[in-house]
Formats: sequence, C-alpha cells, structure tokens
Amino acid sequence: MIKIINPGWLSIIVDGGRYGYGAVGVPASSALDRFAYCILNHLVDNDGRAPVIEVMGGNFSFMVDADVTCAITGAMVMASVNDQPLQPWTAFSMAKGSVLTVQDIKEGFRYYVGFSCGLNLEAIIGSYSTNLECRFGGLEGRSLRKGDEITFKDRKMAAPAEVPERYIPSMTQPHRLRIVEGPEIEYFTPDSIEAFMEGSVFTVSGKLNRTGIRLEGNPLTFRKELDTNIISEGILPGTIQIPGDGLPIIILHERTIGGYARIAMVAKVDQDTLAHLKHGDKVLFEKIDMTEAESLWKSKQESITFLKQIIRRFI
Amino acid sequence: MQIMKLSRYGEDGIRLLFGDSINLEIHAEVRRAYFFLKSLDLKEIIDIIPSFRSCLVHFNSEMTSFQKLATFISWMKPMATAVDLPEPKTYEITVSYGGEFGPDMEFLTSHLKLTEDEIVEIHTSVTYTVFTVGFIPGFPYLGILDRRLSVPRLETPRVKVPEGSVGIARLQTGIYPFDSPAGWRIIGRTDQKLFDPKEEPYSFLQIGDKIRFLRI
Repeated sequence: MIKIINPGWLSIIVDGGRYGYGAVGVPASSALDRFAYCILNHLVDNDGRAPVIEVMGGNFSFMVDADVTCAITGAMVMASVNDQPLQPWTAFSMAKGSVLTVQDIKEGFRYYVGFSCGLNLEAIIGSYSTNLECRFGGLEGRSLRKGDEITFKDRKMAAPAEVPERYIPSMTQPHRLRIVEGPEIEYFTPDSIEAFMEGSVFTVSGKLNRTGIRLEGNPLTFRKELDTNIISEGILPGTIQIPGDGLPIIILHERTIGGYARIAMVAKVDQDTLAHLKHGDKVLFEKIDMTEAESLWKSKQESITFLKQIIRRFI
Repeated sequence: MQIMKLSRYGEDGIRLLFGDSINLEIHAEVRRAYFFLKSLDLKEIIDIIPSFRSCLVHFNSEMTSFQKLATFISWMKPMATAVDLPEPKTYEITVSYGGEFGPDMEFLTSHLKLTEDEIVEIHTSVTYTVFTVGFIPGFPYLGILDRRLSVPRLETPRVKVPEGSVGIARLQTGIYPFDSPAGWRIIGRTDQKLFDPKEEPYSFLQIGDKIRFLRI
C-alpha cells in the first residue's frame, strides 16, 4: 500500500478518462497531461488504463509498505526517496518502508505519480478518475488527504526505464498554443479575431481549476448584431469559449455542454500543455489549419509509439 | 424533416446540426440521430453529446477520420427513420418554492411584476421536455419555459447552490443534481435524486423525457 504523508496542494486519482455517458453529462475527468499519463504507465509497466495520482504543488510525500517501481512524469520536480535525489521521467525502485518526497516544482504545474504494483481502486462508470465536483470516482470521490492508504493490486517490479531528455516536453512560458477555428468564430469582429490568433499575449488569471482556465488580456469584440450567448451545445476539451466580457475561457475535462461562443479549439497536439498553465503565466495563440493540426497530432502519436519502444533501451 | 448539416469540431469531433432554434421538431431529429448512432455501437465513436439542436460526435481519430465517419453518417442517415426510439418517460417532481429554497424569488417578483403564487402557477403549468442532460452529470435542461418567466442568467454566477436547486434562465428551467456553481435564478428545491454514479443508467432523466413540477 501507499500511505499519504502529505497530499501537496491538491492530489487526485486520474486515468485516461470516463467516456460513453456524455449524453447524461458525464465528463471525461481524465489526466490533463495525457502524454505524461501515457508515458508514466509505460515507465512502470502498467496497462494503459491504470489509475495514477495527479498532483499540484510541492510538499507531496508518501510511504510504501512493499518494494515497488515508481515514476513521476509531467512537471519537472525536485524529489527524493529517503533523501536520495531522484530523476523525474525515470522508473526507480522504492524499498519497503521508504518515503518519497516532492520538495518543489522546477517547471510545469501538474505531475503524475505511478506504481508498478497498481492501485486497488474501484472503477466508477468505467473509470478511476475523480470527479471532484460531483464527488465520485478516484478515492471516495475526493482529493487525497494525509493518512489515506491505498493498497497495491499486485506485487511486481518494472525494469529500469528512462525517457531521454529530448522527449520531455518543455513547460516554460510563454505557452504557445496552436488552435483551430471554432464554430462561432464569425461572432467576432475581424480585427479582434486577428489580434487573438496572431500573437496577442494573454495572462492566466487566478480563476483556473480542472473545469477551465480563464485568461486576462485584450477582450474579443463581438459583432454588434449578435447575441453573445449561443444555444447551449456539446463541447469537447480544449474548446475556447468567449463569454460576454470578451475574455477567453479554455475548457478542460469537466464539462460536456457550453453556452458561450466557441471561437477556437486548442489543437490536440498542444492540449497537454494546458495541464501546466498556472496563475500569471503568459499564453499566446497561433492559428493553424485542420490539415496541419491533424498531421501534428499524427507525428505526436508516432513519437509516443517510438518513445515506448526505446524507453528501456538506453539503460 | 429537418436538414442535417455536418461540420468539424476540432480534430476529433463532428457536429451534426439540425436547425438554429429551440423547438420540439428540431429536438426530435436530434434525439432520433442520437439513438440511431448509439444503436450502431461503432467502436470508432467515443461519445455522443445530443443537445437542443445538435449532436456532437467525439470520435477516435486513430481509428477513423472525419472524412470517413462523416461520409458514413451521411450515408446511413436515411435509415435513422427506422430506428426504434425509446418511449420518453413522464415524471412529476415536487418542489418547495420560495423562501430559503428559492433565494431569487424576491428578485423575480419585482423584476417580472408577478406575485410568488403567479410565478409558481406558471412554472407548474407546463409539461417540460428534457432537451439535454449535461454540463454536469444529470443536470436536465428543460424547456420550454413560459415567456412571462424569462429572465437573464445571473451576471456573476453563485459559487455554490445546494443539490436539488431548481433554476430558471431565459426560456429554460433546470435542476442542479449536486452542490455546484450556478448561473441560473433559483426559485425552489426538490428532494428528487437526479444522478447516481453507482447504478445504470446513472441519470434519472434522459433526453426526451417529460417533466411536470408540483408544488409541495
């Protein structure tokens, strides 16, 4: 089992997401950095749908009561096992009784912790992810607390593995987010669309959580003849909505329906970056067309496939 | 029959649009398309979100492409008329209106120039249709609200309203299934449980169901 000594600022159980019940409003609630999640499970030799811990903030620590292989991906952290510094994006072993502590984050915002022994949790509506707002999934539908214990599913160790440095994504700001056009792009004046899509700098406001990220900066201008609300409609993660005040909200993985004009979507290739936007960070958008978005996504998938093949080769 | 317009929504979404207003004919087409696509049980489709006038199809871009799936859907569409639609269920939901349960009632009486009894009378006089369920699990978007009760949403949404709160906004009314943030004007509260993650089909209400509110 693992025993939480300190849960950091906020730590929750996540997986690849909850799908199939969008028609009754069930959102994905998945790991926000899907690349980090996918590689983490590969590093600790788990199946691709295993539950892991998504953590925000330093000062996270836990103890294990069995020998286990562990890894941390996502944000670049300063961490140690029993005062021995460890490398993020690397599989390392923890001996029975040892304590892992994440002191601080060097770059990025959210990090992911996984275990070769798996975590014994109950899947709810086909997923281990925590829906914090509605209090189901994960561990009792809530964030982890000091003293929480989660038992291991089995006893296995993973072979050493390491992600070569050039494959670790940069999480430094300003974050450059490539976007594709949304269904309501014509709701806005040409000047404000141009400014938005070609380099206007936005700042991440204090209003950010797993539901969405509100940005501050030059507001978009609605064309005069149009109502700023739309008839509420289905949305997908990465949708950028513009409410009446003209300031963008990037929707993450906790909503299925939206009622504001959707100017654009963050291209899938850059959606993992959204996990690492934090208060005060600078963000700029760059419009690309769908063909480019598709080919960028395809290359990213190919590099993941390649990375999985070489992850154990360099050790 | 409404014409279906097909368009892209990001790299892995297809938006099937059946019209541009809130009405029961358009919604019936949305519902038909939703149950039809669901009945095909395609492994390429990750999820479908039906709403007032559209279905948003989320597909697996590693297994298919927009072109392929869109062509397939357009080709299959005429067969949607043959799908067996589930019979919509009709429910009565009891509500405690006003007072501590309806913090916006006072604003509404002055804004709408109606008494509390008149507001309740109008709200309980309509059989509503569940146009869509979502934003959060189990939240029903119910229409069509009587024009006399049409009010804009709150300028600044409340950070939290209690589970079961009944709200109105424009020509819609709805029920918050969980303690959650809320931008609609709250007029009452119900004890009806709307979402149970432990038991299929999880949501008490499904698209197309009918509801009448009763005053306790």
